[in-house]
Amino acid sequence: MTNAAAPARPALPPIVFGGIRPRARWREMWLLLIVALTLYVGSISLGATEAAAAGKSLTLSPAEDQPLAIYLGALLLAHLAQVVAGRRTDQVLLPATAMLGGISLLLMERLPQSLVSQSFGGLDLGLGQVQLLWLLLAIGLITILSIVVRSDSWLRLYKYTWAAAGIGLLVLTFIRGEDVNGARLILVIGPFSGQPIELLKVIMVVFLAGYLSEFRPLLVEQDTRVGPLRLPPLPYLAPMLVMIALALGIVVIQRDLGAALLFFVVFLMLLYVATARAAYVVLGLLLFVAGSYLMYRLFGVVQDRVDIWWDPFKDPSGNGYQIIQALHAFARGGILGTGLGAGLPLVGGQPPIPAVHTDFPFAALGEELGLVGVLAILGLYLVVIERGLRIAAAAADDFRALLAAGLALVVGVQAFIIAAGNLKLIPLTGITLPVISYGGSSILANAVVVGLLLALSDKGVEPPPPPRAGRRFARLRDAVGGRA
Amino acid sequence: MTDAGVRSSISRLRTAGLRSGRRPVGQNVGRLGVTLALAFVVLAAGAGYWQVWRAQELSTAPDDPAVVAAARHVVRGQIKDRTGTVLAASRRDANGEPYRVYTDPSMSPVIGYASRFFGTAGLEHTYDAQLTGVLSPDPVQQLLAKFQGNRADPQDLTLTISLRLQRAAQRMLGGDKGAVVMLDPSTGEVLAMVSGPTYDASAVANPATAQKAFARLQADKDKPLLNRAVQGLYVPGSTFKIVTSMAALSSGAITTSTTYPQQPRAEETGLLVSGFRVRDGHHPFTDDRALNYPEAVEVSCNIYFALTGLRTGGARLADWAGRVGFGHQIPFDLPTAVSQVTNGGGKFGGGFKDAVEVANAAYGQAEVLATPIQMALVASTVANEGVEIKPQLVKSFSSDRDGTRTVGPQQMADVLTPDVAGEIKSAMERAVEGDFGKLFTPGAAVPGIPTAGKTGTAQLAAGEPHSWFIGFAPVDHPRVAIAVIVENAGHGASRAAPMAGDLMQLYFETFGK
Amino acid sequence: MDPLILSLWLIRFAFLALLYLFLFSVVRILLRDLRVAAREPSTQLGRLVVVASPSEEPPVGSVFALDAVTTIGRDVNNSVVVEDQFVSSEHCVLTFRGRAWYVEDLGSTNGTFVNSSPVDGTAPLGFGDELQVGNARMRLERAHR
Repeated sequence: MTNAAAPARPALPPIVFGGIRPRARWREMWLLLIVALTLYVGSISLGATEAAAAGKSLTLSPAEDQPLAIYLGALLLAHLAQVVAGRRTDQVLLPATAMLGGISLLLMERLPQSLVSQSFGGLDLGLGQVQLLWLLLAIGLITILSIVVRSDSWLRLYKYTWAAAGIGLLVLTFIRGEDVNGARLILVIGPFSGQPIELLKVIMVVFLAGYLSEFRPLLVEQDTRVGPLRLPPLPYLAPMLVMIALALGIVVIQRDLGAALLFFVVFLMLLYVATARAAYVVLGLLLFVAGSYLMYRLFGVVQDRVDIWWDPFKDPSGNGYQIIQALHAFARGGILGTGLGAGLPLVGGQPPIPAVHTDFPFAALGEELGLVGVLAILGLYLVVIERGLRIAAAAADDFRALLAAGLALVVGVQAFIIAAGNLKLIPLTGITLPVISYGGSSILANAVVVGLLLALSDKGVEPPPPPRAGRRFARLRDAVGGRA
Repeated sequence: MTDAGVRSSISRLRTAGLRSGRRPVGQNVGRLGVTLALAFVVLAAGAGYWQVWRAQELSTAPDDPAVVAAARHVVRGQIKDRTGTVLAASRRDANGEPYRVYTDPSMSPVIGYASRFFGTAGLEHTYDAQLTGVLSPDPVQQLLAKFQGNRADPQDLTLTISLRLQRAAQRMLGGDKGAVVMLDPSTGEVLAMVSGPTYDASAVANPATAQKAFARLQADKDKPLLNRAVQGLYVPGSTFKIVTSMAALSSGAITTSTTYPQQPRAEETGLLVSGFRVRDGHHPFTDDRALNYPEAVEVSCNIYFALTGLRTGGARLADWAGRVGFGHQIPFDLPTAVSQVTNGGGKFGGGFKDAVEVANAAYGQAEVLATPIQMALVASTVANEGVEIKPQLVKSFSSDRDGTRTVGPQQMADVLTPDVAGEIKSAMERAVEGDFGKLFTPGAAVPGIPTAGKTGTAQLAAGEPHSWFIGFAPVDHPRVAIAVIVENAGHGASRAAPMAGDLMQLYFETFGK
Repeated sequence: MDPLILSLWLIRFAFLALLYLFLFSVVRILLRDLRVAAREPSTQLGRLVVVASPSEEPPVGSVFALDAVTTIGRDVNNSVVVEDQFVSSEHCVLTFRGRAWYVEDLGSTNGTFVNSSPVDGTAPLGFGDELQVGNARMRLERAHR
């Protein structure tokens, strides 16, 4: 017993320069190599298909895909930065995210470039180039966050400040925001514009993690008895009501159903993680159903979305057009897909789905990569989720656990909502497919998520390596000795 | 610590454990992970549904952008009749974009049109994907098509239609509204399918004339765009007695020797069914003799069939009608209207309202409605020893790459035993060839070939009755079955029967005896 | 069959196959992680980190790996010995039952506190909670995987 109580003395890697201890990350390197190879092959496939479509003779020579080269270079730098920083952070998260980002880059290069045009200092950039820019910024953000963030106190201590900032952002969007398709989504401040909802989802998770970890004991152990019902302590229901109000507010003010759904689902799931009480979830679901019904009756937007979802074929050239085109795209893809660059037949020079780069990249990938590719992409998201939840399960305390779980959920649930919307499993809502959809706000917000997850995954000082070799040697010695 | 103290602390521990309160977050996270994984499995299933289960249907639908894009630029495959005469071909306009040209207006209801402005109709619609080459009829080729350079491989369609018979039928129909369906009872191949009035599909397909021509066709109150052979629902009149025969003989309600003693008298006074009189003219040649089954068919005795219908019962009548195709969409290359024996919902067996309705339905009045193709199938089923073959319009698909793929006959239903089929057959032969039959059905018999058939005179609420005939020849080994209806043309004998006789005669002239 | 088209399809399949190679590699890593975690379950239930210790025994920052039953007190026979005048000789015991930690006060003179609230008999203890015996404060943490 007394031996066990001896303080652990970890062996540390050598200090190379000024307190920095580089640490090789073999797993990350190997996975990033596969990512690079995959994307390179994808780029060749895309180039060859486009050459064939243009009537040129089919060339299978390496494509001169400059954006991809830049992207892979940035990944290499990010990896080296992680190695030099020497933190014991997760090694799977970056490659998985990088694969999703690379697929996004290939898709955006392949879509009509005219879908987006921005000019930076006299330089006119098309869809693919702008997306590359965002992806590079995202890699930078991930690297910086994962290396610099050592303490979580700035998140933990100021949760109410964060919440206030989030609500302020929401109000600002309402006052100053611009409308997109009837939803108030975009906030313009000076030269910058963006979708604040993307940042808001991260802030929400931080607040919820802080709140739930602080009040977890109370939420779990106290009851308010109302007749035969055992309800959670009423004062602590307040955040739940605030969350529902927030979700309602997003719907009412912003007409943004996807974000509202995302917030509420993530909230319920985190509540479950914190308390393990099914009562909360059931109560939340009941409120959700009641709220949805109310909104269905009150708001035309909600009603339209649900009606389109229920029977898009009723109005195939009007309201149901986009979703029907998406379903056709999935169908054309079949099991193996048409191949990168070979799908999405242009009608009058336009892709059949107008919002393909923001709302329907999943359908586009479904067509070009087929069911096989769709399953792989779903798998990639599951990997991100798994890593996040693993980090949560291994976290040293409740706040970190809830924060990690919440961040993983934000990515996973958002991917589910939009993918299910594309597949007509639930009504379509205009949120982005994390990391794949075009859009700066979305990509940077998800970069913050991944960066924070990496920082949270730091295992601290390394425990002494298990004496595996020694044990083997000892076994060997025993065996020899036994015979002798 | 006392024992009691330990016990109480353990029990408190247990309650605390049950409440699962301070359980580490890790376990909850695990459950959450499982939930999310299941949600993603649902996504995968959703993707599988659209990408595998519904893939073929959606990706070859005529409004799929890929099909539309292909249709605009691809030269569609040709459509030919069974002898290879081209019925639909493509030409290029000044811009080099192809458009369709159709050789014979009599084919328009069957082939339809492919227009740049108004989409597709008829076989051009059904086989859009094959004609544009997006879809190969051969599943293996369909899989391999991905690996071949030019994905669009337009298929040529060879129809089962004989242009000669088709033209003749159209000519005989003249300006009248009506329909003719001729088919081979043993293979289901449709030899002629005419719907009058027809229209000039080339005018719709030609971009120069399309707008005007289409507007005129849509405004036409004779509805030439309606294919009456498959979409027209008509009161079948006495031709429906064959369906009643199927039900009555198969169910054993009657035999061929069944007679009804009250029948001769009822011809004069009317047959009293639940206080309602079913009336029929007296058949002058039969004296006051009670008729047996073949005789009743020969002279088309309504009273006999009303009584037979009552004896068979609504449920069994509806049941056998259903077996031969009533109440269902007939699987066919063109969309078919659903034939019916009753409006349904009634409390009497089979959805009939009451006994009166059954009695009237038994000889093809009341609420009975049938498409010409349905009645042709009735004749064809009797001809083919009771086995109903699925009707088909396309004999084969062919393309340079895939070669030719022939569409074989498909059995649709086994309706009658050969014995019952034989009994109905010989009754129908008497209706055409018998001493009295000849008088009722003049001109239906093909000279030198034993012919069977049944006329119908569909009484309408207003206007002249529809003239019906269904039949087949030769009786022993039938090679052609036919259904003819001419709207408001009076008795079956006056118009439909001679037309059918001439057409069958032409069949034997064309294809040999 | 067009050989060029065929090679184009081979490239396409190679892309898909590489996607799955990536997933396969990841899954292998996950499984290895799980196996490592499963290999040492009993020895790595949690650890106790000393946060404050006025008596300097144990020193602040020392880490104790915990067994399923860990006794704390001034007596040297305890798993964790705390030299503090306000600590009883057999002060309290930490137990791991099922999947959770509990602390039971063994009738100490000055009491045991979890997050500054006194323990009455037995109390559940979560990771991140602070345990106070005498003047010493210790935090229960998850063991490293």
